Order: sequence, then C-alpha cells, then structure tokens
Amino acid sequence: MAGSPATVKPTPILKDELDIVIPTIRNLDFLEMWRPFFQPYHLIIVQDGDPSKTIKVPEGFDYELYNRNDINRILGPKASCISFKDSACRCFGFMVSKKKYIYTIDDDCFVAKDPTGQQINALEQHIKNLLSPSTPHFFNTLYDPYREGADFVRGYPFSLREGVSTAISHGLWMNIPDYDAPTQLVKPLERNTRYVDAVMTIPKGTLFPMCGMNLAFNRELVGPALYFGLMGDGQPIGRYDDMWAGWCVKVICDHMGWGVKTGLPYIWHSKASNPFVNLKKEYKGIFWQEEIIPFFQSVKMSKEATTVQKCYIELSKEVKEKLGKVDPYFDKLADAMVTWIEAWDELNPSSAEKPAK
Amino acid sequence: MAGFSAAVKPTPILKDELDIVIPTIRNLDFLEMWRPFFEGYHLIIVQDGDPSKTIKVPEGFDYELYNRNDINRILGPKASCISFKDSACRCFGFMVSKKKYIYTIDDDCFVAKDPTGAQINALEQHIKNLLSPSTPHFFNTLYDPYREGADFVRGYPFSLREGVATAVSHGLWMNIPDYDAPTQLVKPLERNTRYVDAVMTIPKGTLFPMCGMNLAFNRELVGPALYFGLMGDGQPIGRYDDMWAGWCVKVICDHMGWGIKTGLPYIWHSKASNPFVNLKKEYKGIFWQEEIIPFFQSVKISKDATSVQKCYIELSKEVKEKLGKVDPYFDKLADAMVTWIEAWDELNPSSAEKTAANGTAKAK
Repeated sequence: MAGSPATVKPTPILKDELDIVIPTIRNLDFLEMWRPFFQPYHLIIVQDGDPSKTIKVPEGFDYELYNRNDINRILGPKASCISFKDSACRCFGFMVSKKKYIYTIDDDCFVAKDPTGQQINALEQHIKNLLSPSTPHFFNTLYDPYREGADFVRGYPFSLREGVSTAISHGLWMNIPDYDAPTQLVKPLERNTRYVDAVMTIPKGTLFPMCGMNLAFNRELVGPALYFGLMGDGQPIGRYDDMWAGWCVKVICDHMGWGVKTGLPYIWHSKASNPFVNLKKEYKGIFWQEEIIPFFQSVKMSKEATTVQKCYIELSKEVKEKLGKVDPYFDKLADAMVTWIEAWDELNPSSAEKPAK
Repeated sequence: MAGFSAAVKPTPILKDELDIVIPTIRNLDFLEMWRPFFEGYHLIIVQDGDPSKTIKVPEGFDYELYNRNDINRILGPKASCISFKDSACRCFGFMVSKKKYIYTIDDDCFVAKDPTGAQINALEQHIKNLLSPSTPHFFNTLYDPYREGADFVRGYPFSLREGVATAVSHGLWMNIPDYDAPTQLVKPLERNTRYVDAVMTIPKGTLFPMCGMNLAFNRELVGPALYFGLMGDGQPIGRYDDMWAGWCVKVICDHMGWGIKTGLPYIWHSKASNPFVNLKKEYKGIFWQEEIIPFFQSVKISKDATSVQKCYIELSKEVKEKLGKVDPYFDKLADAMVTWIEAWDELNPSSAEKTAANGTAKAK
C-alpha cells in the first residue's frame, strides 16, 4: 500500500511521444540544469525576436529551432496569427510538433527541490498527471485519488470514479510567483516558499488563470485549442497569451468531457520580470478581463461542435460577436483564431479531428 | 510579506462566539489532548445511545450535555427529526447553540502534527478560514490568496478579489482517511500520510463529500442548512449524514453567494470503524447516491428563496418530488427537513432569517 515500491508502477518515459517546446529570446543556458531530465527528449525551440541572432543550444540535445524567418516561410500569410516579441510565439512549436504530448517551459525556470531536498523531475510528474484520469465532475477532498496513498473519499459517487481523460497538466512555481503587475508593484519581495503536495482537477464549469511557464498537455486531444493569441509587437496587449489559451481550452475541455489538472510539479522560477514594463503590457487586459471572464463563463458550445477544431471555430465566432464590441482587437483576435485553426489543419493533415469520447 | 511576523495579525480567539459540538456514545477522553486549544470554549456534548449512561466530561471544561431524554423533552414531537444511534445527532447541538460559529469534531479525532513536528491548533485554523473570504467564482492556482505569503495570480479578475463570506470550513484527517466501506475493505492498511499545506475554496457549481468529523461553520449564516438527516436506528441508511448536509449546504451557499473552504487544518483520526458494519450502513447509499448527486447538481432554487430557511424548505419540496420516487425514505427525509426548520426557528426565534445581503464579505 502507501510507500510500497512493488505496487508503484514506474512512470513511462514517453521519449518518442513527447516534445519539449521552449520559447526564447536570450539563451538556453537553463537547459544545463535540466539535462538529467530532458536529455532523452526532442526539443522544439521557438526563437523570438531578432532572427539574425544565433541561439546556442547546449551540446547533446536533439532539437529543431525556428526563428521568425522560419515561421514566415512555413506559414506564409498565416504567420500573422503567431505573435512577435512575446513568448506567445511558443504555440508555433505546438503546431509543428508531431508528437502526442507537449511540455512547454520558460527559459528562466529551473529545477526546484521538494521539502526533502530532492530535485524535482517536473517532466515525470507532468507525465504522471497526463496519463492518469481527471475528476472534474465532483470534488475529491483528498485531491488526486489516483496518487499512491490516496483514493476517493466516502461520499464520492462510484460511477464517477473512472474519471475522464486528462488534457492539461498545469504546474506551479517556487520563488518568483506568477503575479500580475499591480501585485508585483505592491509586493515586490514576496516569494512563494510554500510547497503544496497536491495535484487536483479543476472542476467543470470553473475557469482558472493558466500560466504557460510550466505546462504540459495532450496535443492529440487539445492541441488546436492552445493558441496563445495576438500579443507583443504591434498589439495593444501582452502577458495575456496563456490566460487566453487557458480560458479557451477550459471551456472546450468542459464541453468535450476532458479534465484539466493543476498543482505539482513545481519548478523554480528565477526571474522577476520588470513590473513597470508588465503594467504597460497588461494595462488593457486589467480592464478587458472584466468583460472576457463573464464571456467565457457563459459561452455555450453547440452539440454539433464534436471536435476541438469545431469548438474553436465556434468560439471565434462568439468572440467576434460578443467581445468585438469591447475593442476592435477582439475582432482581429477572432480572425487570428480562425487562421490558427487553418494553419493547424494544414500542418497536421493526417491527424483526424479528435471527437469527444 | 512571507515570514515577516509584524505583518501577520494574530487570529481572534472568538471565545464567546464559538461553541464546540461533540457527539459521543463512548467517552470524552480525547478532550485531554485538546485541552490547550479547547479550554476557554463552551462545549455542547450530544450524548447518543443509552441516556442512562453517564458520560464523564474531563475537569475544567465549560459545557452543556444533552442525551436522548433531553432532546425529546426540548423538541417534543419534533425530536423525530434527530437521528438516534448515529453521530448525525450532532446537529441537535447546532440547533441549541446560541453562538455565531460552531466547530464540530468526533471523539476519535486527536491533535495532529505538521511536518515541522509542531502540534496543529485545528480550531485556530478553522477560525482563520471562517474569518477570511472565499473565492468560489474563479479558481486561484496558488490556492488561498488571503494566506500570508500568497496572493491572487496573474489573470485573476480584480473585481473578484474581494471574495465572498465563508460559510463552512472543512478540515481533513491524517492517519485513518475518511473512506467508504468498499474502499476500506479493499485497502485496509492505507493511511493518509500526506500533509497538503493548502486551504482552497470549492468552486461554485461543484459538489463535494463533506465529512463531519473536523468541520466548522458560521452558524448565523448557514446553521439551518446543516441538518444531518435521518440515520441510524430505525433508518435504512447510515454514514450519509454529513454527506447529505454537505450537498444541501453547498447548493444553498452557491445560491446565496457564500463560500466553502476545504483543506487545512488536519486532525489525527485514530479509529478505523468496522468496514463490515459500515457496508451494512452505507449499502443503500451506494446506489441512492447515484440518483442523489444528479439531483443536487441540477436542482434550482428560486429567486424568492432569499433566506437559508426558505432555500431549505424549497429543497425539501424538491427532495420529495424528485427523490421520493427513488425510495419512500426520501419522502420521510423531506418531511424531517421541514420539521428541522420548524424546530430551528422555534429554538432560535430572535435571529432574523439571514438573507444573502448579510453575508457580504468584509474587505481584506
């Protein structure tokens, strides 16, 4: 039972089924620390910013690298949907990947230690999360019932104990927490030192703020829903890319009957971005999110939306209709959402659209 | 900031605003271990089982004790709604209390230790939980944003950061976990050894299995919703009392705009109840809950239900109409729900029905 190694199955490595997508504008030195955990995997580097700069990848990693010229070459006019000068460009990596699973991580995220002092293999925990079911229909007070040493509690309906497929595994961060600009300005010294030893499913019907810096997902299941929007250069907003993707993918998962987990694993977030710069980027988002949230909380998807792509196209129509009046940006964004799906289907023709189970 | 003690306000003790309700059929020896944390509070002991037995309360505690004779005397015919030979009788203690807050705990629950080895003052943590707002409308990935060292994360709408009033604080258990009979039979050796250092709000629209062994609530806000149903002697079901109360109170809190938290504090649950006995008690529940859950997930409370009592009476009508066809038990239960509210209002005449507006959370 709890702690007995004979009953704890080893986690599959999924070496040939998972790509690690890393957006970067600086360098990839951080990979040295991750080497023991990442070396077997294929990396997709999405180089943001100046394409003439050479990003040096540490020796021994198997990778493909795309800069802005590559993105333009591969997507042609559709490249307009991929953000420039913003880590939102990472979603290009999701699109060109051929693997079933994706792990995406930021270049200022390092290996964290658990309370026993041990290094945390974040990727292994994400894989565990993705390979075990989610439980979005009823809250389990002992959190993840599939972890060893835990189970469903008294009162949990038996018909719901099979769970549903897990589409997303959302990890957290020690040290620099993912705060918005106002919070960073008010609490510049706050660090996350609390290790919460839990994985849990975010219940159906509940939205959450999805952070892209330590995130894994089943690309075959929800890849097309993970568009990171129009941010950065030439756009009126930044630092809402992962938020946008998170609201879209949660609504779609709720519709399709899949689960989203949050909690372990932790990474160590080393860099605090500049709060003044952040405020400029987030400024419009602070007001817009007050309209966006009720939109996502009330949006309904039709019964005919039986695939992620269909859901996403429906969503884009709703965005245009309901959010277009908030700002012309949402009109552009709705168009970009459609462009994204077109580009996705072009680059991924053989994968049949995945219907709900 | 994190660890900066000057910024951490001491938790109010609420000595004269909180009662501790303990159902017991055996003895109250466990109170000795809780003495450092419970002394100073008023206890309400609800003695289940044989009323001729004397339950000895350890020295130095201020308490009132009710056995079955007292319950019958005080409620008269309405005593029929209070279970016998089941810890569900604890809700009688909720009804006779005059305090704003209740903490209820089982007599096989002891003080747990946190990972540093320090004893956990469960009551203090429950008070913290009840006195700080809840956030049921949007999930915060760093859990309780009001804890020191934490906050709302990027992407959390600012208009929701005031939170709402917290109605219930649901604590957890180290050692013997709260498993149902089938799980106990299949995994008799499993113990909960994982300390999860978090408090979180259960989102609006989501039901949960509420365990009554380490539970606190704002009685002024939701007391009438915490009826623990008809269980035990003469009833076809047991071990679903707290579950029933939990489904009812969650639906009502969602309607009224209040929050329910779960997580810390932990207590140490020492006794594993007999799984064979449990299976007999839970047997019907295992099948019935498959109908009950969809019922609670879809039940709608009308706009006119502006108080907890009104919500509860509406709920009882829905129970009779929709669950009555599952088994005649639910017909009886629906009637008992009404009896409970009548008894509550009789024993608590001065407290005006608490409307939704009264539950507005104070600013942080």
